[in-house]
Amino acid sequence: MSEQPSNDSVGQRCQITREDFICQRIEIQKLREGENLILGFSIGGGIDQDPGQNPFSEDKSDKGIYVTRITPGGPAEVAGLRIGDKIMQVNGWDMTMVTHDQARKKLTKKREDVVRLLITRKSLEEAVKHSKGSHPRQ
Amino acid sequence: MEDYDVRSAASILASVKEQEERFEQLTRALEEERRNVNLQLERANLPPNPTISQPLAWQQVVMQEQSPSNATSLAMMQEPQEVVEETVTIEEDPGTPTSHVSVVTSDDGTTRRTETKVTKMVKTVTTRTVRQVPLGPDGLPLPEGSSPLSSYTDSIDRRYMKNGGERFITPQATSTLTRAYNNSYNDSYVETPESQYIRHYGLHEGYADLTDNYGSLSRGVNFRPPRYPYMPNSYRPENSYTLPIRKDDYGHVAQPQVPMGSSTVDLNRSQPERFQPEPYGLEDDRRSLGPEEEEPYELEPDYSTASRRTLPGTNRGRTHREPLRDVHRVRGYPDDPIEAELIDERHPYIHGMYSAPLAQPERGSMASLDRMAGRRSPSIDSIRKDPRWRDPDLPEVIAMLGHPIDPVKSNAAAYLQHLCYENDKIKKDVRQLKGIPVLVSLLDHPKSEVHRKACGALRNISYGKDNENKVAIKNCDGIPALIRLLRKTNDMEVRELITGTLWNLSSYEPLKMVIINHGLQTMTNEVIIPHSGWEHEPNEDSKPRDAEWTTVFKNTSGCLRNVSSDGAEARRRLRECDGLVDALLHALQSAVGKKDMDNKSVENCVCIMRNLSYHVHKEVPGAERFQDPSALQAPGSAGPQRKKKDDAGCFGGKKAKEEWFNQGRKNGENDKNYDTLDLPKRTEPSKGFELLYQPEVVRLYLSLLTESQNYNTLEAAAGALQNLSAGQWTWSNYIRATVRKEKGLPILVELLRSDSDKVVRAVAIALRNLSIDRRNKDLIGSYAMRDLVSNLPSGQQRPAKNLEEDTVVAILNTIHEIVTDSSENARSLIQAQAIEKLVAINRTSQSARETKAASHVLQTVWSYKELRNALTKDGWNKSHFQPTVTATPKATKNGKPGYDDTTLPLMEKNQDGYSTIDQRDKDCKYKTDDGSADLTEREPLKNDTNRKHYIRSNRPAVSLVDACDVKPQPVDSWV
Repeated sequence: MSEQPSNDSVGQRCQITREDFICQRIEIQKLREGENLILGFSIGGGIDQDPGQNPFSEDKSDKGIYVTRITPGGPAEVAGLRIGDKIMQVNGWDMTMVTHDQARKKLTKKREDVVRLLITRKSLEEAVKHSKGSHPRQ
Repeated sequence: MEDYDVRSAASILASVKEQEERFEQLTRALEEERRNVNLQLERANLPPNPTISQPLAWQQVVMQEQSPSNATSLAMMQEPQEVVEETVTIEEDPGTPTSHVSVVTSDDGTTRRTETKVTKMVKTVTTRTVRQVPLGPDGLPLPEGSSPLSSYTDSIDRRYMKNGGERFITPQATSTLTRAYNNSYNDSYVETPESQYIRHYGLHEGYADLTDNYGSLSRGVNFRPPRYPYMPNSYRPENSYTLPIRKDDYGHVAQPQVPMGSSTVDLNRSQPERFQPEPYGLEDDRRSLGPEEEEPYELEPDYSTASRRTLPGTNRGRTHREPLRDVHRVRGYPDDPIEAELIDERHPYIHGMYSAPLAQPERGSMASLDRMAGRRSPSIDSIRKDPRWRDPDLPEVIAMLGHPIDPVKSNAAAYLQHLCYENDKIKKDVRQLKGIPVLVSLLDHPKSEVHRKACGALRNISYGKDNENKVAIKNCDGIPALIRLLRKTNDMEVRELITGTLWNLSSYEPLKMVIINHGLQTMTNEVIIPHSGWEHEPNEDSKPRDAEWTTVFKNTSGCLRNVSSDGAEARRRLRECDGLVDALLHALQSAVGKKDMDNKSVENCVCIMRNLSYHVHKEVPGAERFQDPSALQAPGSAGPQRKKKDDAGCFGGKKAKEEWFNQGRKNGENDKNYDTLDLPKRTEPSKGFELLYQPEVVRLYLSLLTESQNYNTLEAAAGALQNLSAGQWTWSNYIRATVRKEKGLPILVELLRSDSDKVVRAVAIALRNLSIDRRNKDLIGSYAMRDLVSNLPSGQQRPAKNLEEDTVVAILNTIHEIVTDSSENARSLIQAQAIEKLVAINRTSQSARETKAASHVLQTVWSYKELRNALTKDGWNKSHFQPTVTATPKATKNGKPGYDDTTLPLMEKNQDGYSTIDQRDKDCKYKTDDGSADLTEREPLKNDTNRKHYIRSNRPAVSLVDACDVKPQPVDSWV
């Protein structure tokens, strides 16, 4: 019924092979904020989302869950999570083929104080080269 | 915000530490360089070796330019470097607020274009002074000698020229160094300094592009500290003025001082002649300014210091440019010597200011604006007293945007923002100088300082009546770039700048669709939804969040408000934008709940809702399913049917019935009343654009109409009701009845007394649409007539309100609608003393439209034969009810087709920008033979008004969104 307005896919396209990805395990201790347990980051993506709007993915058909924002000083930042990280697993649950909401629910289980993430991120070298390449010199 | 400041402070500290590390590295590198140079010097002193071109060149230069001090300088090169001492001062500008953001929001009543303008000033200044002054045998500063130094030595010697005295180094000596360096560069003397510099440069700036010319150039400048020794006392770091730079990051050393006693000035002045012949001298410099002014918009690469650096061979030929490189007085970059140097290289700005251009903001925008405009700020002048310095001109500032060093970029952008503030001329110049594409390209810069400043400049440039600036931003893909940055950044300030720029851009019609295409969903997801407090799937444990009226939300809603007026396609896109309508409604609910309804964000939200409500009955998917079958057949036949259906309405009704009704309300039985309306049963909650026309929104708009003091909000809320009550489909039937049930008619009638012309107009048109409902028509005819008539001008004298023609016409048309098919309402009109006014308008109004509208009303009134007796008694005759000779015959009313024209948007005629329903000249469209209304069912409006408050207070705030338990697709959720 509702369709997404066509957004420019604006990510810098640059071929990054699978080897350039490194997987990393990150454990985040949730922070109690009032009645809520928070992780201090936000996610985007999911198989029900328009992958073309994901600014972090290289492959614009990637419907994975990505870290879109991180609260400064929050648990996620402390744990080393970064914006643009792709979440592969949450406590062992696969996150590469889930809806946005399924991912959110997995992350916000009230009974869990700790969330273990398996994330992948472009290697630093690649990221550096990438940003340089895209940056106009003159 | 606090958090933000804290982070700023932390980042300052971090950068300071980082710089300290850099200096250590520099120091080490310098050592190495010294060794290298020594090696070179040794080679140079050996018999020339034809296979090594670099030493040869070096030697040649040395031979040519033997000077007494040459030996000194060479000797100095051997000197070990002194300790680096850094002082970091973070000072708030005393007195006046150092950082100030001025937001100018102008709301143009006719176009509703709202723009924001902000000028940011540099706030905190950190000054870092590096003293690195090796002392020579005579106790005076000695230079560090090394070939890399030569890249700046030439600027140093120019400095000497300019300032006259240099006791330790002769210009010859320094130029020797320079040329040597150039040679070595050309010859790719790989093992020498350059590689060192490259490494350092990479460390500093992350520009790993080692082969890049700029890289090596800037690297050359890296070694500024050794330079100080070359300077006369008066130019030792402490004395120098500071080059102010990044906000919060760098400081601004006060004014030049003369700490080392009296010697400096006199010494400096004493020997200027000595350097006259030197082509790098000041005079050349000044002469050279001419050519630049002749081609002020040249953006050749040679404006860039970097490229000049790479052209050693042409340096001499370009003497008029060379002086630009004179720089070492600039300080305040100790943090980042490279950056400082590169900025400093460009002589012109220093020339005018004794400080880099970006120093200006600290002194207030006006000061620098004045300077830009050719007037000089006395205070500044008194500080430097050196007329030879000048400000950078615009091409130079723009060229700096392409500078390889990030802080130069950001400073240049900040300076541009500053210059453009309320200066249309400079905005235009920036555009013609092709500065806009450069700024746009900086939006993608990874460093926040750079893209922030670029965005700030774009915001100021995009503001104003000159739409070409907006087009220029769009033409270089500025809109996608802004949206991209909005997705990337978490920095509130940057987001404000982005959305402010987009708001500015959105005021120009041709850009609206572009903004929608690129940014609608992003703005919705990134700003509207999060700040509205709306959640796709409300967490049961947490209570609903309230909207946050942030600047970002205000800007974004303003932008969407503007783009929402761009016609049917724009409306469709906004309606179908995931979560937008839901979030806007939630925000408005929140505003009503908090009784915080007068702010701009609310205004923007209501305006968007009003625009999206326009033509819903035609434009939303599946609208045809809801077309009122009776309406489709014939307008007349709908009347009685509806009347029956709506009889249970609470606005009217007998006294007993009324009380029963109220009782029912209190007992929470109001659902029963809705049942009588045959509201469609919803199997699932409404979501998205469906929310626009659900009867539940009526209560929201009525709350706004009751509580808000903001005329624009009032007008928009009335306009929304007007839009929703137009048209012939099931939902508008419900809306019209719901307005009555929710006691909306008295609220609207009360607003006819508003001082605001446009509120009166919107309310009048809304009443007209509402009177399509027969019950409403009867009630409005009885209780609104006096207020309607009182808004009419009497004769040529306007009432105190002095309403505009549009408003008067709207009121006349509403009256016409009300009296049509209702002789009872026509009687009310006569009783309201309207005939005199109508006749006066018909005969004397200067406005053809008013005349015509009044004429229509009079003809309709005269058509009721049963009223003619009363009219005649009052002294009127048929001639008073005839169209005046000049009046346009009825048949030619703009040639509009009778029915569907009821919802032509005003925007298309008035460029109002907001769709409401234009019912001017609408013909009678509601015909029924049931001309008499059931008088007994009418209740005084007054009573209704009182009751309304009572009932309202017992009712929870409208909660449209709570009912909406749908699962729209979340795009971004905090966890």
